Amino acid sequence: MDFTSFVGPFVPEILLLGGTLLIFLLDVLGLRRNEWLSTVAVTAVVLALLSVLGDLGFGPLSVLATLSPGQIDTLPAFGSAPLYHFTSLGLVFQAIFLLSALLVTLASASRPSDEPGAPIFYGLLLLATLGMLLVAVASDLIFLLLAIEVVSIPSYLLVGYRRRETRSMEAAMKFFIIGALSTVLSFYGASLLFGAYGTTNLFLIQADASTVGFPVLVLLGYGFLVAGLAFKVTLVPFHAWAVDVYDGAPSDVSAFLAGGTKKIGLFAFFLVFLGPVLLVNTAAAGQSPFGGGAVDLGPTLSITLGVLAVVTMTVGNVLALLQKEMKRMLAYSSISQAGYMLIGITIGTAPALTGATLQIFAHVLMKGGAFLVVAGVGALGIGPLIDDWKGFGVRRPLTGAAFALMLLSLAGVPLTVGFVSKFILFSAAVQAEGWFIWLAVAGLLNSALSVFYYARVLKVMYFDRPGPLETAEGTAAAASAPALGAGGLGYGRAVAIGLAAVLIVGVGLYPQPVVGAIQMAAQHFVSAGV
Amino acid sequence: MVGLFGTRLQKLEWGGWLAVGFAGAAMALGVTIAIGEMLNPGAYVNAQYTWLHLAASPGPFPNGLSLVAGTLVDPLSALMLLVVTVVGFLVMLYSIGYMHHDRGLPRYYAELSLFLAAMTGLVLSNNLLEFFLFWELVGVCSYFLIGFYYEKPSAASAAKEAFLVTRVGDVLFLLGIFIYFFHYATTGPNGGWAANGFVFTNGTTPFLPAGAIGSSTLLTIAGLLILGGAAGKSAQFPLHVWLPDAMEGPTTVSALIHAATMVAAGVYLLAVTSVFIGFTSTDQLAIVAIGGFTAFFAATMAVVHPDIKRVIAYSTISQLGYMVMAVGAGFAMVGLFHLFTHAFFKALLFLAAGSVIHAVGTQDLFKMGGLRKPMRVTAAAFAIGGLALAGIPPFAGFWSKDDILSAVYSQLGSHPLYWPFFLLAFAAVFLTAYYIFRAWFLAFSGDHPRDPSLPHAHEGPWVMQVPLVILSGMALIAGLFIFLPNFQGLLLHGDGVAGIPPVYGSTDLLLSGVSVGLGLAGIGLAYQLWGNGRVYVLPADSPWQSVRRLLLNRYYMKVAYDWIGLRAVYGISRGADFVDRYVIDGTVHGFERIFGSLSDRLRAMQSGVVSDYAAYVIAGLVGVFALLLLVAPYLLAHFGGT
Repeated sequence: MDFTSFVGPFVPEILLLGGTLLIFLLDVLGLRRNEWLSTVAVTAVVLALLSVLGDLGFGPLSVLATLSPGQIDTLPAFGSAPLYHFTSLGLVFQAIFLLSALLVTLASASRPSDEPGAPIFYGLLLLATLGMLLVAVASDLIFLLLAIEVVSIPSYLLVGYRRRETRSMEAAMKFFIIGALSTVLSFYGASLLFGAYGTTNLFLIQADASTVGFPVLVLLGYGFLVAGLAFKVTLVPFHAWAVDVYDGAPSDVSAFLAGGTKKIGLFAFFLVFLGPVLLVNTAAAGQSPFGGGAVDLGPTLSITLGVLAVVTMTVGNVLALLQKEMKRMLAYSSISQAGYMLIGITIGTAPALTGATLQIFAHVLMKGGAFLVVAGVGALGIGPLIDDWKGFGVRRPLTGAAFALMLLSLAGVPLTVGFVSKFILFSAAVQAEGWFIWLAVAGLLNSALSVFYYARVLKVMYFDRPGPLETAEGTAAAASAPALGAGGLGYGRAVAIGLAAVLIVGVGLYPQPVVGAIQMAAQHFVSAGV
Repeated sequence: MVGLFGTRLQKLEWGGWLAVGFAGAAMALGVTIAIGEMLNPGAYVNAQYTWLHLAASPGPFPNGLSLVAGTLVDPLSALMLLVVTVVGFLVMLYSIGYMHHDRGLPRYYAELSLFLAAMTGLVLSNNLLEFFLFWELVGVCSYFLIGFYYEKPSAASAAKEAFLVTRVGDVLFLLGIFIYFFHYATTGPNGGWAANGFVFTNGTTPFLPAGAIGSSTLLTIAGLLILGGAAGKSAQFPLHVWLPDAMEGPTTVSALIHAATMVAAGVYLLAVTSVFIGFTSTDQLAIVAIGGFTAFFAATMAVVHPDIKRVIAYSTISQLGYMVMAVGAGFAMVGLFHLFTHAFFKALLFLAAGSVIHAVGTQDLFKMGGLRKPMRVTAAAFAIGGLALAGIPPFAGFWSKDDILSAVYSQLGSHPLYWPFFLLAFAAVFLTAYYIFRAWFLAFSGDHPRDPSLPHAHEGPWVMQVPLVILSGMALIAGLFIFLPNFQGLLLHGDGVAGIPPVYGSTDLLLSGVSVGLGLAGIGLAYQLWGNGRVYVLPADSPWQSVRRLLLNRYYMKVAYDWIGLRAVYGISRGADFVDRYVIDGTVHGFERIFGSLSDRLRAMQSGVVSDYAAYVIAGLVGVFALLLLVAPYLLAHFGGT
């Protein structure tokens, strides 16, 4: 294997690594102005994104391709038990991850230029993004879990990088402790699977899944993996950290966590569980320890994930209904959205994966965008409570409209990307027939429920008379904040929010190119396996 | 067509003139389209854009699933477009005068414009999903506009009532759509209905094979669900209760939305369904029954009501009943013809009533009187509208109502069960003439108002009079359109769906004679009892008193609904409260207790909260194991497979 074809596919990762090193170098040299650092970060992310899009064969960018388009899914694996493997669905996910990183870095460009901690922020962000890209190409359990750690460790630090803010520090501590616990669970699960299969390679596990003779070991292993990965995906009841962390972390970091890092867990679910789920009725032949005949690994996992999905979306929605603070409401809504995404894996058909992937893409835009807005207006003297947003839509028509759009998309209103993704997801559940239809029913009921709390925010924003405009602290904060362009948001943030809003409507109105690409990738993924 | 936005920011004339301008442009386009359709009878313009396409895969949609957004102009929609844009423009113009003194005008014009946009969108939809989307949108606009005077509790509650009652219909409609989707998903050319986005037509023919409906139970149910949706929107029995209360909105809104356009959407839905999908014969009977019964039932309530607007509202329900009956009998275009004439004369009646209310500041007929002299234009307009409603030739209502009666009559032979409803509808002709002229005599005849405290009445400004005059003209001649060959072409749907019944043979003449006779008798009775300022007081010991009470209380249906609603809603909320307090809280506290001991040990190492989270993780792990090892195998063993 020659050098170019070995290194070529890793251009995005190399770009990010280069960006990270450059940023830390600038830090050492004392060049810590936010503008410079953010330029480096944005450039690295944009280049990496272009490269990934090129690899996907995306129109004019295909000259940048380092993988031959159309053949990504047919590339030979590296060796018989490869650590990594390129799939077009993986590349789609890389693009989604990079998009979320792009939104956050763009928005952060609007921070004050002498803000402390900026090099740490950008460096860690790029490092975490690098880990996310690696997750997307993993084909081995250990590689996968290590890649997840590459994401996790920087994200713990990101949450707490403002060392003076006790709330952030507390959130970081919680995040770290629960994260460590989950990592332990994941690795323990992987070791049990190794015990059962004699390998941690996902290809080999998938091929072997039908022949193994230790059903309990396998089930326990997958059980630990579910629990460990569910931490990332914020499935109920593994979700509790998320609300405190999203709430306590700087909002830009929350945007990254909710929009970006959370999605690696979902892709990990794709990788780890699709094989067994797809192998319906063939897996893990053997006697169940509790009687009842042979254990069918596929349906068993499927039911487990389905229950988790329904519980997650329901609990997330119900708790979101009760929230009075904007960020906490968004955090719970984020949890419930994870439930929708999990539906796709539970069903495991190509349309379902398409729906889930599109939902993930949409969520980056909607939730990432919403957190960016919250972060931006925090500096304008709007408090943490939903009631502090009274009259916001009237006072700031453009930002208000963008935010309203994100909420509408979260609620799944037609002409937004949120509708398209939910539509595909639920219709896939209906198409799959059997008990999966109940997933669609649960999803629809939950969507209806969620409309309440999104609509409430819209009502507050547009119909409630503004009370006393700002809190005392808020006014003080607004006064002390340096005047930024674009109506106090800063240009970078305005561009990021605008980009998210435009994509929400654009893909909502004209979904075919994006849906088509994801559909094809999902088809390959399902037919080829991992 | 939908460029009707942006009024919000226009402070100049509160955006009213801007809205009028856009509505005028919309009218010009609508009229052009309708004329184009008249000149090329049966022409179709069908432009669409595939919005989303899902690839083929096994399941109920084996050929894939598409969502399309498109425009379909056919005779049906051209006729509706004409009605919506013309009446819309006139009402908008009238509003400039009528609403002049109100606050919140930008909101008013924005909502009215949005309504017009949604309504034209609904009319032009080329597929069922898009139709439903706009259907919901007009519902929301109606909700906003009924509640325009939201400070008034009665208006706010009327808006809510309208919204909730029509929602019942919407849910039924949606269920009907689902049944059609699954039943017809693979029927028709190009891989089936689902793969083509549930469009109505394939080129110029209905997408679904016409007349192939048979007598499937499932499709009968679907048809009944569609009827339910239409009944909600068009205020048919038993979902009629919201429309009289919707009169809490501005009179202009009543004229546009609750007389001419939105309430007609239900009839339009039935017409579209009958042309493009088809009803089973059971459905047809149900539709005729609902329509005929509502026509009579609503007319009886209009007979005694003292409120000028509500009288007209009941009359609207009753007239919609006629249309529904015609569509049910298989004459969709006849129903739409009545819809067309009705839109003009009913808008006229409402605007004339609005003019009266504008002048005297009350809606109580018994306080008015003698308004003929100061308000000649209004009095004449109301009279013309009344004559058209009563079905006196040559006014518009005569032609279309007679068309319906003879259309249904022609089907009596094949469907004997139509008889009672036909007779009810016939009887309603008499009541209609009576109640509308009772209102006219009460308001306009005599020498002076019965309540001397009323302000001195005067005509409204020109912007209010012009629409009255134009609509009067339409009420006079709209029915005569049927003699224009081109207009007949519009009514004859291209697919040979029966348009006009045999034109005025001897039976029809006899029918017309009887119905005109009934109409005149009704007017005569009204004159006898209420003419020249007379007030007829029913003797207190008359046996009719109980009937009167029954009618005034709307057959106690609203009371019954309220009672049911109260019980049901309170019951549910009390249940929810119970669940919240005891089940959810209890569970939460239970979990706390269960994991308390476990987390105590962890708490020693870290802050309280984190250990809770860790406990959740462990609990979750246990739960996952339970699912994997116990629940899932159990389910699989008992329900098998996937």
